[in-house]
Amino acid sequence: MQFYQPTSMREFIELSSSLSDEFATFLAGGTDLLPRYERGQAMPDHLIDLKKLSDLYHINIKDDVIQIGALTSIQVIQEKPLFQSEFMALHMAAHDFAGAQIRHRGTIGGNIVNASPAGDLLPALYAFGAVLTLIGPDGERQLPIQDFVLGPGKTALKQNEILVTINLERTPYKSTFHKVGLRQSMAISVANLAFVYSEKNGVFDYLKIAAGAVAPTIVTLDKLTSTILDNTSTPEDWPLLIEADISPIDDIRATAKYRKQVVNNLVQAFLRRELTV
Amino acid sequence: MLHHPQPHTFQLEVTINGELVQREIPTHLRLLDFLREDLGLTGSKEVCGEGECGACTIILNGQTVNSCLILAVEVHGAFIVTIEGLADTQELTEMQKSFEDHHAVQCGYCIPGMVLTGEKLLDRHPHPTRDEIKYELSGNICRCTGYHKIIDAIQRAADDRG
Ligand SMILES: Cc1cc2nc3c(=O)[nH]c(=O)nc-3n(C[C@H](O)[C@H](O)[C@H](O)COP(=O)(O)OP(=O)(O)OC[C@H]3O[C@@H](n4cnc5c(N)ncnc54)[C@H](O)[C@@H]3O)c2cc1C
Ligand code: FES
Ligand code: FES
Repeated sequence: MQFYQPTSMREFIELSSSLSDEFATFLAGGTDLLPRYERGQAMPDHLIDLKKLSDLYHINIKDDVIQIGALTSIQVIQEKPLFQSEFMALHMAAHDFAGAQIRHRGTIGGNIVNASPAGDLLPALYAFGAVLTLIGPDGERQLPIQDFVLGPGKTALKQNEILVTINLERTPYKSTFHKVGLRQSMAISVANLAFVYSEKNGVFDYLKIAAGAVAPTIVTLDKLTSTILDNTSTPEDWPLLIEADISPIDDIRATAKYRKQVVNNLVQAFLRRELTV
Repeated sequence: MLHHPQPHTFQLEVTINGELVQREIPTHLRLLDFLREDLGLTGSKEVCGEGECGACTIILNGQTVNSCLILAVEVHGAFIVTIEGLADTQELTEMQKSFEDHHAVQCGYCIPGMVLTGEKLLDRHPHPTRDEIKYELSGNICRCTGYHKIIDAIQRAADDRG
């Protein structure tokens, strides 16, 4: 296995272009990749470690947007006050993420590209409407996260293209996150939910809900939230509206029925608390 | 151990427990195997090999990480502390003494990882609550002690530091 550690974007582009016919894999924190090799998946012939690309660690705070480098660790997202004050759901997802050793090493970019239906940062990123910047031999492009994740482990990344930045619009909205797992930490989510909202006197003027581990990709509960926002649904309608956007499966962690119930309970508890109905 | 049909080698330089180490290694060698097999630093243990248990915990550039999930080539130029390097002298650190005093050790397999995690935890929270200790220890599994005595030991080590 050839190992490469490009130290600049230019070096990276040159390298990835020269390997364009080869099977190359990118390495960030390795917390998804290494367990796969331990379980017997073949290691690649070319492994490109991204960790010396210093641009990928920057967090730029602009007036209307924050730009998070793809190599930002889960720990940094948990600790940086900016996330707690403006992107609470993302902070909470990072807080409930694995244990310290994995948070130190795992990255936001790895969580997105891994495209697990249960990836814990994803619901918050969907609910905040994250836009991703990708760079490859053909140049730079931007994609909304819901167009980037295509299915379990599948993304819109082209060959030798990498995720460089996660862009989040700065808004005055409040947010929160819930994770249900088989134990409090170090457990893959049975369901996870992010809520981004703005509410005055028991009426929502903004509401976005994203749910994980209940469909092949993260889903936003748009049927529910649009009817709440235009006031065309009543609490009796909520369960069916919620179920219209999810398609959970049975697996070793939980049954589809249980997942449906959990999402229903959490979403309804949130709505009832905020609207005090 | 990881394998690759076409091994390549790499000239690794890394500072481990204060000493510069230079070795030629295969690129697919895990850091845990490098420490244990090549350097004989067997204090770091392997249990799950998948990042779940924390027995292989080391300190890499000041942060606890699982050495089973890292390739040795990735730490070129880095600074590593293993349980062997924790005390500068032959003496035990306060944390290690506290584990002993509280009978927080049974089979001992998880303990190097617990002690290193405990040390770094006190950097983050000099006066940790029990809940903070539990949270920070969630990446370290112990199958013997039931955790209470380990938490007591870390709490006491914090109190002793003042
Ligand atoms: C014990 C344990 C507990 C875990 N707990 C959780 C948890 O609670 N919640 C959760 O969501 N996940 C969890 N995970 C999964 C994992 O830690 C996360 O998905 C993490 O964010 C992956 O990031 P990484 O940098 O380690 O990815 P890597 O393993 O380095 O990469 C993952 C994939 O993404 C690709 N990749 C990475 N970065 C880029 C980039 N910038 N551009 C292009 N491709 C890229 C890699 O090629 C690879 O295919 C856990 C894993 C372990 C081992
Ligand atoms: S052996 Fe590394 S975490 Fe278990
Ligand atoms: S003392 Fe035996 S595993 Fe912790």
